[in-house]
Amino acid sequence: MSFRNYKSKIDEGDTVILYLSNNLHAIEVKPEIKNKKGEMVENVYQTTFGALKVRNLIGVDYGSRVDLSKGWGHVLQPTPESWSLTLPHRTQIIYTPDISMIMLQLDLVPGSVVIEAGTGSGSLTHALIRRIRPHGHVYTFDFHDHRAKVAQEEFDDHGLAEFVTARHRDVLAEGFGDELSGKADAVFLDLPSPWSGIPHAVVAIKNEGGRFCSFSPCIEQVQRTCSALESHGFQDISTMEVLQTEIKVTKRTVPVRDLSFLRHKSSESPVDEKPNSEKSFVVGTWPTSTPGHTGYLTVATLPPTFIRKKCNQVQESSDQLKTIENGEKDKPNGAEEMSIDENQ
Amino acid sequence: MCDNTIKVGEYIVIQKQNYKKLHKFNKPNSSVNVGKDTINLIGIEGCQYFSIFKMIPKGTKRNKEYDLELSKEALNLIQEISLKTSGTDNRNIYDDGRSQKLSATEISELKSDSISASEIVETLITNSNTFHNKTEFSQAKYLKKKEKKYFEYIQILKPNLRNITEILYKLDPSKVQGVRIDTLSQIMTLSNISSEGNHLLYDSGSNGLLVAALLSAMGPQSNGQLVHMHPGNMSQKQALLAMNFTSEQNNKCVSVNVYSVLRQVYQGSDTNSADSATEKTTNLKRKAPENIEHESKLPKLEVSDTISDVNLNKEHDDAKENNDDKENSEVKENSEIEERAPKKPKWHFDNIRASEILTQKVDSLVIACKEDPQNIFMELMNFVKPGRPFVIYYSVAEPLQNLYMTLKSLSNVGALRLTNNWMRNYQILPDRTHPEVMMNGSSGFLLSGYILK
Repeated sequence: MSFRNYKSKIDEGDTVILYLSNNLHAIEVKPEIKNKKGEMVENVYQTTFGALKVRNLIGVDYGSRVDLSKGWGHVLQPTPESWSLTLPHRTQIIYTPDISMIMLQLDLVPGSVVIEAGTGSGSLTHALIRRIRPHGHVYTFDFHDHRAKVAQEEFDDHGLAEFVTARHRDVLAEGFGDELSGKADAVFLDLPSPWSGIPHAVVAIKNEGGRFCSFSPCIEQVQRTCSALESHGFQDISTMEVLQTEIKVTKRTVPVRDLSFLRHKSSESPVDEKPNSEKSFVVGTWPTSTPGHTGYLTVATLPPTFIRKKCNQVQESSDQLKTIENGEKDKPNGAEEMSIDENQ
Repeated sequence: MCDNTIKVGEYIVIQKQNYKKLHKFNKPNSSVNVGKDTINLIGIEGCQYFSIFKMIPKGTKRNKEYDLELSKEALNLIQEISLKTSGTDNRNIYDDGRSQKLSATEISELKSDSISASEIVETLITNSNTFHNKTEFSQAKYLKKKEKKYFEYIQILKPNLRNITEILYKLDPSKVQGVRIDTLSQIMTLSNISSEGNHLLYDSGSNGLLVAALLSAMGPQSNGQLVHMHPGNMSQKQALLAMNFTSEQNNKCVSVNVYSVLRQVYQGSDTNSADSATEKTTNLKRKAPENIEHESKLPKLEVSDTISDVNLNKEHDDAKENNDDKENSEVKENSEIEERAPKKPKWHFDNIRASEILTQKVDSLVIACKEDPQNIFMELMNFVKPGRPFVIYYSVAEPLQNLYMTLKSLSNVGALRLTNNWMRNYQILPDRTHPEVMMNGSSGFLLSGYILK
């Protein structure tokens, strides 16, 4: 439950972040866990600094130092950021630099209703929940039934159930559902073919308008997404890439090589031709290897209906893309009806 | 729905193509300068946000004065002008300065006499020898360029953190300490700010952008509080005012002078002479309205800013000593004397409220300063609960690198990270996708970590 409120003490059932000299680990505070044979045994967490008896964490203040058999660590209350770094990966996840930008670009504030597809490992979902609570809601969808189920269980365990609904649904095929029509302030898509989700996003976004964001690793996806956004009446479409670099700060002592003595003939014994003193700097070293690409963020505004419809009409008459897409969508329905007829 | 109509007294965003401007809509028939044009805003009151208006020239076009007419859509040139023929490449196009048959004077006459942008551009195109030999892409690029020049529509948008950040940064990054949108978004996440908890911000000159960002993430109708410390007499508020927050949401934030509030925290309130205090109070009351007025003028002036802000760009201590007038230092001195004065100024109560929040300790600390962050952090970290995050922003790396080395030796600070961002925008067009030609290379630096016990 440690994701829900700020807490001062660790309770049983909390998830805590164990911080060990710049390594973070998420630990679920359960005194006992099942072993391979299914028997309940004492929960002991193994770290590079030795073992930690999880039972001993209960009642400890957050931020405290905890002793390990070969050293020590600190226990922190999890934040969506530390959770992103420690969560069990079920899929590729979106990390904090992109998450931060997504939330700002989606204009999310407490009270917003936001749709996310797919849920994946819930990295972004935790950050979305923090931003929209207490009055907002996150609807998150995944077409993988197990992932959707595990995600919902995780949100329940983390005490976040009232702010989030995780569903198993193939939103590209089925849309977000009637109950979400005109309900969302923002829609976020992290799907292989986000462009086919755009008509559903238009349905889900409120009449007053809203924001859209799509995360795609490949530029070809972005191109299709942008042309679909344009033909569906979105405005202010823009695509960006955000990368973060961590700079390693160290103290570096460098030798100083004095050459000025060479200008004059020295009467004394020859000066050693070697560096003769040292100077100290605090330096920031840029990594030789750093993330060079995560994904492109494509964002856009869907204007309110009073101005949107006109946009659509103009676009519809002039734009072939839209009609092609509609055609594609109509076909399966048409085919179904026909088959029913045949059966009769 | 009434929430989405344009109201007098609120800030609005005026968008013309890619240009956005923040404006305080003070009077129904006020005017605003957008580029070289003067636009009269009469008639926009009561319209819904996102409404599009056509700019109708007042008298001749030479005056560059326009009235607004509600429009259903913004027509763009590419839709209006049908392109018939185009070439395959530029092998037959020479830059001999003779491709345009119209003379410069003819063009300027055309500009002031024509009714619509499409008319101007169409005449230009028909009188061009080379336009029809250009490739389709090149023609589209030309039209886009002309459209920028002759675009006749504006759209009124509702200010929010995203467009305010963009506008202020575009205007002058130094006015917001160079806090770029991606960096700002990370300050908001790394500080774990949410609707609940108490948070502490020290900001010495981002024009209110940081406080606007944190307060927007805290939202309305919840019990979180924000202590906003600033070094000067008045806090900078431009971005905060532009958010059009309700008073309920604004009240979550208590803005205090850093000296006064720390004196209040450590030394408590002094209960000295009530007489001198009343005198000072009246003195202050006279001063306050002036300040408010001054600030409300800011968005209109846009480029010129408060004097105090200019000073902040210089040595910060200079600004304190030389330019803050006597009243200012008296204000600080008297923050404690006021206790039993009959009419106490608002800042007196603010100091007390802020010091109460600080003594209970806060859930996050954000610092965005122009001074050396070290002393400020070392003082303010004492008010942060163990296990909670902090973020320090600085426009260049070195002060944060030094601070990093200092903090590394402390036992009660952990998970330190010094980061820098890279952001690039893209032009996405069929067969013409590439990164935008210009990108911004200065994101500033963030030092983040956790306070430990």
